[in-house]
Amino acid sequence: MMKNWIELVFPGTSINVSFARAVVAHFAAQLDITLDELEDIKVAVSEAVSNCVVHGYREKEGNVVIRASYEESRLEIIVEDFGHGIPDIEVAQETGYTTLPEERMGLGLTFMREYMDELHIYSEVEVGTKVVMVKQIPARQAG
Amino acid sequence: MQFNITVIGQALIATLDGDLDLHTCPQFKDALTKALDTNSNVKNLVFDVQNLTFIDSSGLGVILGRYRAVQARGGKLFFVKASPHMQRVLKLAGMHRISEFVDSTTEVLNRA
Repeated sequence: MMKNWIELVFPGTSINVSFARAVVAHFAAQLDITLDELEDIKVAVSEAVSNCVVHGYREKEGNVVIRASYEESRLEIIVEDFGHGIPDIEVAQETGYTTLPEERMGLGLTFMREYMDELHIYSEVEVGTKVVMVKQIPARQAG
Repeated sequence: MQFNITVIGQALIATLDGDLDLHTCPQFKDALTKALDTNSNVKNLVFDVQNLTFIDSSGLGVILGRYRAVQARGGKLFFVKASPHMQRVLKLAGMHRISEFVDSTTEVLNRA
């Protein structure tokens, strides 16, 4: 059975956003994946980690944990911070909603939902936020 | 990420090379804002994204914010040589409704 996983822990700072999406994309590339699917994953991871930095930690410091795994065709990516948390997840998921309207478009969760097949958000105020994203990588015929 | 900003007539042309994300967008935002502040005649924003390798909502937010500034001047927004993936991201953000996808900056400048 094709199965693998990785775990990354890094400080929740903006410079690590590109590192995170590159590592997860490299991991996902172990599957029979298209370039479009890789781009989708990079955007989703970038949005999730950016949210940890901008909303989770804001001015405070803390770590981001990414656990990525696949089993056969199911790729799961979990991005977690231990920051401020989301007071109302339903409101936060509305397209265009943002607590920082001057700087953000409020599209982070929309992009994650669009580019992945599943999106689950777990959050507790002043405990942190965990985003679970799943993408099914369909089996492809060789050649 | 590297960028170059040029003003020709009423058009601001920004050529991007690399990834535009949360980390790289503040520098780009500052440069765009400064260029718009010092060139009050600029109406149209032209982003050459041929060599832009990545963009997410952080980068799109910078572009949208500057568009709002020129919108008040009756300006328009153009993306030069956007890849199919880039076009998909822009469409998902709803930016295709306020912008045009074109093949060259000359195409935009010739309209002026």
